[in-house]
Amino acid sequence: MNIVVVVRQVPDLIEPLEIAESGTSLDFDEVSFLVNETDDHALEQALLLKEAGGGTVTVVALDCGEVDDTLYTAAAKGADKIVKIPVEDELRPPAPPAAAALFAEAVKGLQADLVLVGSSAHDELEGMLAPLLALKLQLPYVGVIRGVRAGDGSVTAFKEFPGAVMAKMNVKLPAVLGILAADQPPRYVPVSRIKAATKSTEFEEVEVAAAAAPGVTVQRMYHPAAGERAEMLEGSEEEVAAKIAEILVEKGILK
Amino acid sequence: MESFARPLCWNVPHWAEVTLYAMIPPVVILFLIGLWWRIRKWRLGMPEPGDGKILATVVTRLKGLLSFARLKEFVTTTFFQWRLSRDSFATLMHLAIFWGMAVLFVGTALATLDQDFTSLLFDFQFLQGNVYRLYELALDGFGVVLILGVTLAVYRRYAARPERLKAAVTGISKWDTFPFLAILLLIAVTGFVAEGLRIAEGFHLQQQLQASADRSVEEKVQLIEELGVERKALFVGEERHEAELRRMAEQTNVFPAAAWAPVGYGLGKVFAPLSLGSIRTLHQLTWWLHALLAFAFILCVPFTKAWHLVSSPINILLRPVRPVGRLSVAVEAGAAQIGDLTWRQLLQIDSCTWCGKCQEVCPSHATGFALSPRSVVQKLDRVMIRAAANGAGGSEEPDETHRIHGDVIAADELWACVTCRACEDVCPVCIEQPQLVIDMRRHLIDQGEIDEGLQDALMNVQRYGNSFGQSGRKRAQWTKSLETAVKDANKEEVEYLWFVGDYASYDQRAQEPTRATARVFQQLGLDFGILDAKEQNAGNDVRRVGEEGLFELVQEKNCKVLEKARFQKIVTTDPHTYNTLKNEYTGNGSESPMDGRPIVHYTELFDQLLREGRLRPARMLDYRVTYHDPCYLGRYNGIYDAPRNVLKALGVKLVEMPRNRQNSFCCGAGGGRIWMKDVPGIEERPAEVRIREALELPDVGYFVVACPKDLAMFQDAVKTVGAEDRLRVVDLGELVFEAIGIREEVKV
Repeated sequence: MNIVVVVRQVPDLIEPLEIAESGTSLDFDEVSFLVNETDDHALEQALLLKEAGGGTVTVVALDCGEVDDTLYTAAAKGADKIVKIPVEDELRPPAPPAAAALFAEAVKGLQADLVLVGSSAHDELEGMLAPLLALKLQLPYVGVIRGVRAGDGSVTAFKEFPGAVMAKMNVKLPAVLGILAADQPPRYVPVSRIKAATKSTEFEEVEVAAAAAPGVTVQRMYHPAAGERAEMLEGSEEEVAAKIAEILVEKGILK
Repeated sequence: MESFARPLCWNVPHWAEVTLYAMIPPVVILFLIGLWWRIRKWRLGMPEPGDGKILATVVTRLKGLLSFARLKEFVTTTFFQWRLSRDSFATLMHLAIFWGMAVLFVGTALATLDQDFTSLLFDFQFLQGNVYRLYELALDGFGVVLILGVTLAVYRRYAARPERLKAAVTGISKWDTFPFLAILLLIAVTGFVAEGLRIAEGFHLQQQLQASADRSVEEKVQLIEELGVERKALFVGEERHEAELRRMAEQTNVFPAAAWAPVGYGLGKVFAPLSLGSIRTLHQLTWWLHALLAFAFILCVPFTKAWHLVSSPINILLRPVRPVGRLSVAVEAGAAQIGDLTWRQLLQIDSCTWCGKCQEVCPSHATGFALSPRSVVQKLDRVMIRAAANGAGGSEEPDETHRIHGDVIAADELWACVTCRACEDVCPVCIEQPQLVIDMRRHLIDQGEIDEGLQDALMNVQRYGNSFGQSGRKRAQWTKSLETAVKDANKEEVEYLWFVGDYASYDQRAQEPTRATARVFQQLGLDFGILDAKEQNAGNDVRRVGEEGLFELVQEKNCKVLEKARFQKIVTTDPHTYNTLKNEYTGNGSESPMDGRPIVHYTELFDQLLREGRLRPARMLDYRVTYHDPCYLGRYNGIYDAPRNVLKALGVKLVEMPRNRQNSFCCGAGGGRIWMKDVPGIEERPAEVRIREALELPDVGYFVVACPKDLAMFQDAVKTVGAEDRLRVVDLGELVFEAIGIREEVKV
């Protein structure tokens, strides 16, 4: 089974995000990127499927947002092939529809039996990349998957619904699945293996025509001001803690 | 002048002597087979890192003996079993057996030399007159010492039975040591009995001589000969034999030195009532038994735990010259199978006498974790025996028998280790258990078989340079509430570069104590600075978890920053950081920014400032405190006195816990355990056990630590055992801060 995993980089939220001078985007010079968590799960699911039933794992990524480290890590974990798609701006990831078009073009040439994509990303909570990609590839799609088992010409996928309901589904291949979580949490790969992969891995580059300009433009990007009903507590940790305690007593929650 | 000598093979027929000598070659061959069996085991191993061939290692290490300290260590450890000294019963027992056997062995060797060399070739015996008297006294005395030692050993093993000797590893029965002890005991007993019977024969001859007191000397000589005392054709010249018989006849004294062998003399009196014939038959039988037991003992050496007689001195000789705080790397991907350990490690495993001292001091074992250092070593030994039997080392591909993971040594056991070094420190035969555990952990890391908590910590260190998963920019946030700003050592030249470490920087519980130390430094006018966001986790525990690649990565990053910074010395409050900076950032063959710059722990710095008169307590603290020795400060780096000197200078009354200094009981955080999840089924965490130990001390209100991880562990433990109102966990820096009298100012 040829499994293709689509991997995206997202801004690391450990540092406060800054707005660029233009006022219409993040200040990408100040952003550090890391792999999108659900994409990491998609990769893990692909590796587990390969280990259980054989096949190959190809990782596809856009060449932006410090993606190389993520790709070397994927290679160290056991991905067989890495495909990188050059983009116009190496710092700024394209919007989901454009990204979907780029990924679709690249995936078309890979004879994929199964395409795994993270269900959503924290810079794309609507989770439209995976379905858009399925649409462009004209393949069946299910999202919010928590675990996949390989079958003959199909896979069994476990989908989670709200209200503690799970569904076990049979998905005919080829197909696209949006992964929320793999059967196991993503594995740890030691630094020495990543180092070795950095030396031995060669990325395959696939030139893909840029998608048409999107019909949506950002007019202004900003940090929302504190609402009128919110009271911001200022001061040192101790002072803030004291104020919180005071409020809790006032509201009768603490006595 | 007295002219009597040691009787040569008295009452032993010539054929018996010849038979005995004929048995030596087969015994030697069996011994060599045993030796080869041992050597085959070690040959499974890798070369020692950095040394290449075995011979190179041996030569380098032997050269090390040229230093007085190492020579002293070798002599005290080998001949005086100094490593047992913490257990006086074991010391007494072992010294008695060792010196008993040593003197008896030397005695036998001297007798052989006297009989088969000087007497045979030069017709001369040096064991004569007073020399022989002293010889008899020494051998009798040490024979008693040996019996005493073996009795103590039997008592401890089969009557007292401490826990450490009880808990059996598969394949080790409690009778395992019995044959060896029995042989030792019987050697001494048969020796005494044979001597007693010989002396009893002497009494008989004397009686006969006395009965014919009126006869001439010639007639008496004839009488002795008639009684069956023959000259042995080969060994004594005709003249000396004649002279000896005359002496007996003249003095009516067969064995003039008999009274110098009090035990033999006493037994002689006991056996005397027997008939001369019975005495002679019994003597010959006992003589044979004694000889065969001696051969059995020789064969015990390569085939039983008596092997440690040979292996432990070799172990000590081959100990590397590097500090104990520096790990070695033979295979970066770790030990996946027995042959991935080095031959020296296999030699260590081969020396284990399963005495269980390591298990007794192991904090993980004491609190119900799956780990026993002894089991780890013993299991490896089993694998080594099977693997060596299956085809030793060389180019052969390792098969199933070489496996050391999975059902041999489970991951749980390896992850339970806190790398506190208590086991290594107490091991009488110098086995380095933590290095074994870490070598095996490296394989688990390589395979990604790790606990979730640990995975998070490692990924955080990889990505953010700290195990907390916080922004590097927040590393110096603890300094924000200081009244005086702290210098940035990346920008300004400082005398002391304070390498703060993750816990002292980020941990909520440690931040206030860190500030206290900073305030003390500032008050004393110390010129110091920090690396701020550029500091990375120093990697001590990353390395001990087995993540060698990540250790190299953080080390490289830190070294780059340190190279640019201008400083003279490094100070840290964190013993873990201290250990790796001091022992591992240098001495790995490449140039390091640490070269030639002292690294001091803040306890050492305070101690030094006290001695220089720069640190002057403004008031004496009238607290009763106890002090916990951090593993990486004490056992790893031998710093026990500096913190105690500081406490003394502050005026506090230090009450020691029963386990102090090198016996200190780990808080349970080391070796990366602080990052791992709690293991279900643990009776009580090591830190809680330690707090209970402190609570036993009368009126002690303060539990002083000198390690930020200890603060976190023990403050939690005090809460879980519900002793918050009785015992306060404080950092040494906080006490110094209080004593130099700036607390009030700060509070205002």
